[in-house]
Amino acid sequence: MTVAGLTPPEAARWAARTGLPLPADRHAEVAATADHIHSVVSVLRELDFGDTPPAAAYRADDSAGKEAGDAAV
Amino acid sequence: MQPYELSLTAAAQEIRARRMSPVELVDSVLDRIEQTEPHLRAYVTVTAEHARRSARRAERELAAGHAAGPLHGIPMGLKDMIDVAGVATTASSRVRESHRARTDSTVAARLTAAGAALLGKTHTHEFAYGLTTPQTRNAWDPGRVAGGSSGGSAVAVAAGAATFALGTDTGGSIRVPAALNGVVGLKPTYDLVPRHGVTSLSWSLDHVGPLARTVQDIAPVLAVLTGHAAGETGDADLTGLRVGVPANYYFDHVDPDVEAAVRQAIARLEALGAHLVDVEIPMTRYIQAVQWGLMVPEATAYHERTLRSVPERYAADVRILLEAGELLPAGDYLRAQRARTLMRRSWLEMLEQVDVIAAPTVPTTAAQADRPTLSWPDGTVESVSDAYVRLCAPADITGVPALSLPVGHDRAGMPIGMQLMGRPLDEAVLLRAGRALERTQPPRLLAPVPGSADAMISH
Repeated sequence: MTVAGLTPPEAARWAARTGLPLPADRHAEVAATADHIHSVVSVLRELDFGDTPPAAAYRADDSAGKEAGDAAV
Repeated sequence: MQPYELSLTAAAQEIRARRMSPVELVDSVLDRIEQTEPHLRAYVTVTAEHARRSARRAERELAAGHAAGPLHGIPMGLKDMIDVAGVATTASSRVRESHRARTDSTVAARLTAAGAALLGKTHTHEFAYGLTTPQTRNAWDPGRVAGGSSGGSAVAVAAGAATFALGTDTGGSIRVPAALNGVVGLKPTYDLVPRHGVTSLSWSLDHVGPLARTVQDIAPVLAVLTGHAAGETGDADLTGLRVGVPANYYFDHVDPDVEAAVRQAIARLEALGAHLVDVEIPMTRYIQAVQWGLMVPEATAYHERTLRSVPERYAADVRILLEAGELLPAGDYLRAQRARTLMRRSWLEMLEQVDVIAAPTVPTTAAQADRPTLSWPDGTVESVSDAYVRLCAPADITGVPALSLPVGHDRAGMPIGMQLMGRPLDEAVLLRAGRALERTQPPRLLAPVPGSADAMISH
């Protein structure tokens, strides 16, 4: 399913919701860059993670899959 | 041979044998910096007095009969992401104009305690968020990029303007400039080298590590950084070592000169006794997605306050990434973290079959500074930054150690790098293989820095 890209006003609104007011002359560029990042990252939605925990951070000597316990908070 | 031309190992031997004093060495490298800096701009700040003080102290200690460790009186550059008490950590950014570090980072403190002399802080791509380091020029050709983000460190080492240096590596930032400038760079296992006092780009991907002119020089620096000896690297016989040769990914969209040099180096490993094994790199479709899914939101989070208070002080390329990073949902970040779990598991499984994986560090040699993209024969166009990160990111995501070392030059004379990746905490295996390979090559010369006298010598 293809989802239409962010419009400049949408990028401005999303940014404002995160507490980052953007000057008007940056809306289009931020929208385009955010769309590009989205296009790269969204490929991860193909993966079926099952019970896989996130590896937020880990110690090198941990065995695989136990990383979640080391998450920095 | 001038003292600044000596490798770390050779310089340490000269100092230990009292044939050269630390003051002589530091003065020689400081003179070299004066000669090369107008052409290269590797340094943000040169701390000449700091270096001379350290050298005099090292000399007094030697005269008093103190045993000299391998870094005693050795001049170094630190990437300007690494805190040194009383000195600005600018991250090569106007955002940090009035910065002054209050205390030493753990790595700076350990190196100072080992007797190393700080020459200065080296340039980084702003806040390490980029692969070119535009302030600095390639040590081999001023029209080409230094690589980054630890560009200043690699260029200084290549030019003889530092005997060794430290960099940081989040998506290749030690290995990329090391490869592009013909020096050695080690990205250690994640968390092996302390990051306390080092400005972060992306906490879960950042690594601190050394750059030097030889593999042999890396071991003593790593030993000081970790507090543990890195193991003996002198064994030239690689019998029994299983070297994985990637059947996919690492040789796709790679310049023919780079591929040829790396395959020749792999053949030399085989000639030294190593057993070559074809390996299939897992989950390659998701490498860039995981790298970006982790790095982009973490970088934006680190810069939350200053992106709101002084956004105009960031360079345009960094500001836009930080702003756009605000728009990445938490769900995407968690997906990247879960995919990292899967990727790390599958890499550890792959590394049960082999001891080392050998591959190009970057797909091409240093690009012309004004060139934003690369074109591949199949018509694919790739940004220079994406190309430089592509082969380095897996070791950052999985946390496995990776050593980049020079293995030749392309037809334009630019250096080519190969990386050796291994199991977590197996740095000694990488250093042993790299050192064995290094012994089969003629001794490396300094980069022919344009404009300096040695550029007249043909290479």
